[in-house]
Amino acid sequence: MAAFVVSPLKMGPLLVLWLAVCLSGTWAVDRGNFKTCDQSAFCKRQRALKPGQSPYRALLETLELTNTKLTLQLINDNNKVRLLLELYRLQGNMTRVKINELKPLKPRFEVPDVLINDPPTEPLSLLSRDENGVVLSLGADSQRLIVSAKPFRLDIMEGREVLLSLNSRGLLAFEHLRIRKDTKVDPEGTENKEETEAANEPAEGEEKAKEDEKVEDGMWEETFKSHTDSKPNGPSSISLDFSLPGVENVYGIPEHADSLKLKATDGGDPYRLFNLDVFQYEVFNPMALYGAIPVMLSHSAQRTMGIFWLNAAETWVDISSNTAGKTVFGQMLDYVQGSSETPQTDVRWISESGIIDVFIMLGPTPADVFSQYASLTGTQAFPPLSALAYHQCRWNYNDQEDVAAVDQGFDDHDIPYDFIWLDIEHTDGKRYFTWDHHKFPQPKDMLQGLLDKRRKMVTIVDPHIKVDSSYKIHNEIRSKGFYVKSKDGGDYEGWCWPGNSGYPDFTNPEMRAWWASMFAYDQYEGSMENMYTWNDMNEPSVFNGPEVTMHKDALHGNWENRDLHNLYGLYVQRATAEGLIERSGGVERPFVLARAFFAGSQRYGAVWTGDNAAEWDHLKISIPMCLSLGLVGVSFCGADVGGFFKSPSTELLVRWYQTGAYQPFFRAHAHLDTPRREPWLFGPENTALIREAVRQRYALLPYWYQLFYHAHHSGQPVMRPLWVEYPQDTATFSMDDQFLLGRDLLVHPVTEEGARGVTAYLPGKGEVWFDVHTFQKHNGAQNLYIPVTISSIPVFQRGGSIIPRKARVRRSSSCMEHDPYTLFVALSPKRFAQGELYIDDGHTFNFDKQKQFIHRRFSFANNALSSRNLAPGSQFTTFSWVEKIVILGASKPSKATLKTPDGKESLLEFEFDASMSVLTLRKPGVNAGLDWTVVLQ
Amino acid sequence: MFPNCSLGHCHIIIAVVLWSICVDSRKIRGISLSYKRFYRERKSFLCIDGSKMIPFDQVNDDYCDCVDGSDEPGTAACPNGRFYCTNLGYRSHYIPSSRVNDGICDCCDASDEYRSQTPCQNTCRNLGQRERAEVEGQMRVLGEGLRLKQQLIEEGVLTWREKQAQLRDLQRVSDDLQTQLDDLRKEEARRKEEADALREREIGARETADNSPTSHYRPESPISVFKELDSNRDGSITVDEVQAKLSPVQDEEHALSEDEAVALLGGVHRVDLSRFEETLWTSLRTGDNVTIKGRHGVPGSLADEDPNIKAAVSAAEKAAADLKRVEDAYETVYMEIRDLREKLSIDYGSEREFLFLHNQCFQLKVHEYIYELCPFSQVTQKSASGEVVSLGKWGSWAGSPENQYCQMRYESGEPCWQGPTRNTMVMLICGTETALRSVKEPSKCQYVMELQTPVSCQPALRQRGIHSEL
Repeated sequence: MAAFVVSPLKMGPLLVLWLAVCLSGTWAVDRGNFKTCDQSAFCKRQRALKPGQSPYRALLETLELTNTKLTLQLINDNNKVRLLLELYRLQGNMTRVKINELKPLKPRFEVPDVLINDPPTEPLSLLSRDENGVVLSLGADSQRLIVSAKPFRLDIMEGREVLLSLNSRGLLAFEHLRIRKDTKVDPEGTENKEETEAANEPAEGEEKAKEDEKVEDGMWEETFKSHTDSKPNGPSSISLDFSLPGVENVYGIPEHADSLKLKATDGGDPYRLFNLDVFQYEVFNPMALYGAIPVMLSHSAQRTMGIFWLNAAETWVDISSNTAGKTVFGQMLDYVQGSSETPQTDVRWISESGIIDVFIMLGPTPADVFSQYASLTGTQAFPPLSALAYHQCRWNYNDQEDVAAVDQGFDDHDIPYDFIWLDIEHTDGKRYFTWDHHKFPQPKDMLQGLLDKRRKMVTIVDPHIKVDSSYKIHNEIRSKGFYVKSKDGGDYEGWCWPGNSGYPDFTNPEMRAWWASMFAYDQYEGSMENMYTWNDMNEPSVFNGPEVTMHKDALHGNWENRDLHNLYGLYVQRATAEGLIERSGGVERPFVLARAFFAGSQRYGAVWTGDNAAEWDHLKISIPMCLSLGLVGVSFCGADVGGFFKSPSTELLVRWYQTGAYQPFFRAHAHLDTPRREPWLFGPENTALIREAVRQRYALLPYWYQLFYHAHHSGQPVMRPLWVEYPQDTATFSMDDQFLLGRDLLVHPVTEEGARGVTAYLPGKGEVWFDVHTFQKHNGAQNLYIPVTISSIPVFQRGGSIIPRKARVRRSSSCMEHDPYTLFVALSPKRFAQGELYIDDGHTFNFDKQKQFIHRRFSFANNALSSRNLAPGSQFTTFSWVEKIVILGASKPSKATLKTPDGKESLLEFEFDASMSVLTLRKPGVNAGLDWTVVLQ
Repeated sequence: MFPNCSLGHCHIIIAVVLWSICVDSRKIRGISLSYKRFYRERKSFLCIDGSKMIPFDQVNDDYCDCVDGSDEPGTAACPNGRFYCTNLGYRSHYIPSSRVNDGICDCCDASDEYRSQTPCQNTCRNLGQRERAEVEGQMRVLGEGLRLKQQLIEEGVLTWREKQAQLRDLQRVSDDLQTQLDDLRKEEARRKEEADALREREIGARETADNSPTSHYRPESPISVFKELDSNRDGSITVDEVQAKLSPVQDEEHALSEDEAVALLGGVHRVDLSRFEETLWTSLRTGDNVTIKGRHGVPGSLADEDPNIKAAVSAAEKAAADLKRVEDAYETVYMEIRDLREKLSIDYGSEREFLFLHNQCFQLKVHEYIYELCPFSQVTQKSASGEVVSLGKWGSWAGSPENQYCQMRYESGEPCWQGPTRNTMVMLICGTETALRSVKEPSKCQYVMELQTPVSCQPALRQRGIHSEL
């Protein structure tokens, strides 16, 4: 750093130029730090295989069909290595395909702890069988699974239509484990023995492998930059192709800073799934980022399906499409001329190790796919209500006084917030679970101060542990042998924030239990019940490691990091969340934010899109990034409001607050080097704009809470692409500048600098949408130009919906607990509407364990609005009541009568705005947990 | 925070609307005495902005009817409403309606939490006592501060006058020097002219004189000098001849060594005329190192001129030296004046009360750093290792237009890594002594200091005391 404290005047012009280049260069990702497919030996090897005849053949005579599965051996005719195929029909219209080596030299890694249980199966029945293959029934909808023997392929059909084919392009490739030839004592003997063993039926008299495996570069050792990967197990990669006839749109496989609709990867790099700490990532490219969820959704107007590739090793996904690259005109021409070919998307998955374990979710609707995936990996953790409110973060709030001043600033400017966050500088020398005693001498006083205002705090606890013999946490982990080991067996050490650090082996359940116990109030000094946790750097980030992460040959027990790399972050978040639950005796719901994630991470908390930048493109990309995560189970997603690196213009900051207010995880965050940006630092006008955006968020919290309840209950995403609700509207398929919250709110945030207007697409032929601010009604199935000013946040409520809000916005969401509801009833053209209300205590598991909640259905039909109980088995009382009912698209009644179950009737006062057709019913006053009806006459 | 802003015009409008019916106001929650008249119990209530008439029983019924929030002064129903904390024994003030019954005690008389489960204590008496004690303390500090400030202002006036006098003196000296300079410049020019004229005349005379080789008064050619040095007239000059005829300029008594002689001949022992012209002649022409014995100066110069020329030249030299001396003095005075003017051009406050801070520095140690503020000059940070970093140079006053002298900005300190230059904002607060009270770095490389000083005490503060509504 000191090197930069040189007056430029003293430097030669060349030096100045050099510095300028260096400094400007630091604002973009250094791609050279991360591998391309070509630089990743297994990806290069696999990608060198081109589509063609598969060398694999199904040995039908080995077929075994039990009640739960079908097993069958496959043989590679080139090397005679046999694989074992297992096929399962799973409950809920899913098919599981598992392929492993029949007799691997040593066990191959199978991903644990991601599936919530052994997925329940349904019987498969054999429909027909001949020498070419077998046909199995998948039960419902005349769905059949066809196993072709030579070459081996699988086709899933419904009626006469092929839904999906596996290995139809012959890209099934399984690098069997082998003994390194150049180091073998007795190469011939061992090799032969292996092969004899591998071949189960020596009677068949297979010839020796025609083709001896070629030893290629990078099979047994690989070097990237200065790092060498020792690869003691040699090549072990796997690959399989999937063809999706009739499909033009695929989504998912986060995390990438790219468009919602995935692009064809021909001619470029595949999408990469490998959890990495990418410094200053760029938008619109397929590079790997912090998290990986190997789930892809395919969608066409006819059907939505999903492919879940359960593998935690480094993975690359190639996508090609026969329509990609065709111009709109070309596609039109195809259409007019009766199209030369049906559209088809081909996908190929390549992973470095492990086995092939694929779940094919057959939909057919988007909601079905979400439920199917949720049945495998679980649903979104139901967060405490306050976690859905606004979070104020910065690297760093410097000391207790600073925290108090920021807290007071929010009150002075009448802006609500629920959480204030402390980044790494709050600790004693980056020793997590400790405090810098100069800056935070009395953490409990500080937390009590927040608690008095019914607010909360998050402190950061990263998974790298300072190697320091005077640090309790380190000593315990070391003495218990809980650190990840290097290939030589010693504790693995790498460089991170504290300097030299160890990495606890979170894959070890004992380690996780110990880690969780560290969050007990008597262990984590200075912690209180209103203090929650943030796990950053859990890819894990290793500053001096290959690609800024852990060496692949580091050891987690018997397994290499190579096998389970993408799973590490999930375990960190899981152990932390379990700690927060335990410290409350299992009563309180945890809140844990993590940067790295894997399939199943949704069960443990929230994620954010990592270290973005204060740029308009980063604001735009926050939408597809969170939409992609929502599609694969992770609903609690957000991007740093304002952008982490660099300093946003005031306009960008305001627009980001407006966008973030309508995204699930709503947290402002900023880099240490940037100027302060608390909401009141940009003049009274901008303070007012930010205040208004945050207030809109708070008013809508009842709806957010209800959406999260559903995400938790049924796995439906909170933030949805339009096509999820309008699956047949092809205009929506690649839309990612606007989105739905639940079914009923459409948000088109302004993400263009200096925008004077936006064009929002309102879907639904014959439907109507109401501007939530003006109550103006618009027809569906149109592109609507909306003139905007700096205060505009275009949001529309679907005609036919009822949304509960709390209009009394207070200092924090907890302060609003007992406040009354205002119901916004947006009538459909047929004068119908429906909505829900979910209420519980907002922070415990009692909703689940003791069924303490209120869940109500609001229906408007035949000029009557009623509230009825959706959960008769549940019990909860609320102080909240219904304050106001606003009916959009209404006509003027002569009177409005409130009827309650005790038989009482009372007349309600109302106002009617004829210009906007808005009817406002004054103070029904009825408790929100009760049955009631309002009749308009 | 929520000042009792002027609603004077409303009062008048409503006063006209009101007709005086002597009905006691029933207790309306959340309003001040002065607002009671808007809430006299009648059949209906007119929103204070006049926008709507509602039945009186809808006042404080926990439903917002008036756009201006005036029907719900005592509940949280209106988003823009405000609640009056009477706070008997302490300070009355308004809070936003959203803080009514939110489970947080805001009014010290607990009046805002009349329906929440949070038990709030009436703490007004204690607060009032504490505040009164505090205010008394502040008043004492303020009184003392103002007294000290007056002293400092008076001292400032003296210092200012002194500086002005100093400036005037310097100006006078400068004027004198200017006059002297004019004279000396003329004198010097005259002397130089004289000397030049004499010389020219001599050169002219020499040109017409005979060409005797020994004559000093003719320009010498390489040939003539060659001949002079070529003692044995063999057409070449040898080392011996050089040693015999030449001596170092500085010391004519000293003889040249053989090596020196060889060097003068370009590294050889013998030169002919053409080599002579390239080597020794050049040295003689410059006259720096060697000269022909018994001669002064360079061949070709008017070294051994007659006494007249000598006198003229030395007079010219003296004139030039005199001029240089006075010029230097003038320069020094000029710089002094410039510095003083610059110093005096700084805005030291409306009464020049901050003048005394000039040339003073204040230090504060925070953890491992020592911060130093030298007002109107610079701010620095010294680390334990002794490294000093500039946190900014004096920029400007940066307070609000109403009180610009409550903040100082120091800017363009050392640049931060990957960031802008360091800068420091100094907040000035009233106190009885002048000292640096705190240093913070809210954003990286953006420092905020508090400088306490009597001169920041404002008499206006005195009028603001505790006023509680009884």
